[in-house]
Amino acid sequence: MSIQLSIRDLSKRYKTGEGVSGISLDVNKGELITLLGPSGCGKTTVLRSIGGFLEPDSGDILIEGRSVVKLPPEKRPTSMVFQGYNLWPHMTIYDNLAFGLKIRKMPKAEIRSAVEEVLRLVRLPGAEKKYPSQLSGGQQQRIAVARSLLLKPAVLLLDEPFSALDAKLRHEMREELREIQTETGLTMVFVTHDQEEALSLSDRIVVMNHGHIEQIAAPQDIYDAPETLYVAEFIGKMNFLKGGAQGDKLVVGRMEFPNAKHLTGEVVVAVRPEDIILEPGTSQAAGLPGTIKQMMILGHYAEVSIDLGDHGIIRAFQPRDKVKELQLGQSVNATFNKVIAYSNN
Amino acid sequence: MSKSMKMGMLGLILVIPSFLLLFVIVVIPIALSFVESLRNEAGGFDLSRYQFLFTDKAMRSNIIFTLKVTVVSCLIVLIVSYSLAVYMRFSSGRLVDLIRKTYMIPIFIPGVIATYGLINLLGNHGWLSRFLLLIGITLPRIIFDEKGIIIANLWFNIPFTAMLLSSALAGIPNSVLESAKDVGAGRLRVFFQIVFPLSYKTFLVAATFVFMGVIGSFTAPFLVGPNAPQMLGVSMEQVFGVFQEREQAAAIAFFTFLLCSVLGYFYIRSMVKDETARS
Ligand SMILES: Nc1ncnc2c1ncn2[C@@H]1O[C@H](COP(=O)(O)OP(=O)(O)O)[C@@H](O)[C@H]1O
Ligand SMILES: [Mg+2]
Repeated sequence: MSIQLSIRDLSKRYKTGEGVSGISLDVNKGELITLLGPSGCGKTTVLRSIGGFLEPDSGDILIEGRSVVKLPPEKRPTSMVFQGYNLWPHMTIYDNLAFGLKIRKMPKAEIRSAVEEVLRLVRLPGAEKKYPSQLSGGQQQRIAVARSLLLKPAVLLLDEPFSALDAKLRHEMREELREIQTETGLTMVFVTHDQEEALSLSDRIVVMNHGHIEQIAAPQDIYDAPETLYVAEFIGKMNFLKGGAQGDKLVVGRMEFPNAKHLTGEVVVAVRPEDIILEPGTSQAAGLPGTIKQMMILGHYAEVSIDLGDHGIIRAFQPRDKVKELQLGQSVNATFNKVIAYSNN
Repeated sequence: MSKSMKMGMLGLILVIPSFLLLFVIVVIPIALSFVESLRNEAGGFDLSRYQFLFTDKAMRSNIIFTLKVTVVSCLIVLIVSYSLAVYMRFSSGRLVDLIRKTYMIPIFIPGVIATYGLINLLGNHGWLSRFLLLIGITLPRIIFDEKGIIIANLWFNIPFTAMLLSSALAGIPNSVLESAKDVGAGRLRVFFQIVFPLSYKTFLVAATFVFMGVIGSFTAPFLVGPNAPQMLGVSMEQVFGVFQEREQAAAIAFFTFLLCSVLGYFYIRSMVKDETARS
């Protein structure tokens, strides 16, 4: 696999003091990578630097091995889909799509067939003569994606392109984008603050926080093995408990786990709600004793809140059948399938 | 009564007051002055007043002078205002901030005062000429000349026009411009194919405003214009007040109105064309 886009130690600080620093990232050819993080963490700053709309203070950006930091956006082999207002309202869809191709002096007949083909790809055949205002928000974003696709960029950049759409449509667009990506083999950098979107769409996720990268990994690894406490907190639901590290063992209550990270002293132990097993009664068995505070049926599973006394309240996901055995106020014993530990500072 | 009929009635009732107002202060006076302009010296009706407009040497040169001053003023005002608006939209720095804060000041200075200010500054014995004399340059005649009228027109029209165009440019989202750069458009192409088309409607509105304002202007031409030829507004006043020829003055007024309606026609036509293209 060859590296299509390489960001090396990129930094950009605004006058306000905000910005990003020390961003390094390699994106493989044909990969869909997502920059994920809360609003204001610097995702757009990184993306705009790649697209050439922002001049970084330091660092380098290479596309197909060539440095592009000195190039203006119109000279970069990238194309960007913005959050909104991508299309030129005074031009028809055809003219919107053909604009870049005309600049590249493509013959008219070729433009015509290319536009027709890309409109089929984004499921809007026959929209040539319409104006952007005659399309819905989702359709407009499809056209924006189509316009970028026509230019066959080395890297396609998307800055929260679906965030203004409603949940159902967002879901559809996500699937369509994934299909387009498979079909075209395009390298994409996708920015979102929506972790569900990132988890379902990406080959790899870059989790960002306060202008730096917390972790780069495949969605499954981000979920199963969050490297930092921040990622553990940010991605999915997670319970946090106090624990201790003793030699090669992690101790949580009466439970013991391997101390894979070789931590020492007090640690923070993270456990996913689905990794918690509840058994009625407080026996002498290993685990943590608690009482059931609340039960919420959420479709095929239930969310159960358990008061563990000193360890606080944790939430566990339980199968529907299991919940039938449980009652509010009942004493239970909670055991964990697996935990992730973080040093306590 | 059906609901749609009720709504229709309501619409009608809401429109009537403005329609009446338009009728009383625009349509009726124009019709009256048109009728008046048709009255000849013998008391009958014909086009002799208009014939005079186009055959009298002084009148003809007034018309040509008016059109020339108007067109030149419009061109300069629009070019300067649009450049200013573009500069304010796309640049940053101290100078732009200063311009943004100060460019509207002329709007708040009463016309007569500003005109006298111009006379003091640019007149034969004004500050500028005295200063230039010190370094051995003689200032050409500006006041009591068409240059004076044009400069006054710039003073009166540029701030408002720039403001109008600025708000049009502010309405173009950055992403629309960045998208154009993104697909490979350079500065010039972004300007001529995106920025200008997206602001040309306002440009047209501004052009119409400036044209009508200048062609019908009185204060500046009266105070800083030459004795002959005259702008139509000044000439009208003279024909009406000094020569006491109401009918001839009415003919000049109606002719000025016709000149304005030509522009109005093009303006409305382009608006309608745009609307039908998009619906
Ligand atoms: N042009 C700018 N001037 C000053 N600060 C900015 C500018 N653009 C973004 N910022 C700040 O930089 C930080 C990162 O912004 P951004 O990259 O847009 O974050 P994100 O896209 O993740 O929401 C934010 O705190 C934001 O307020
Ligand atoms: Mg952003």
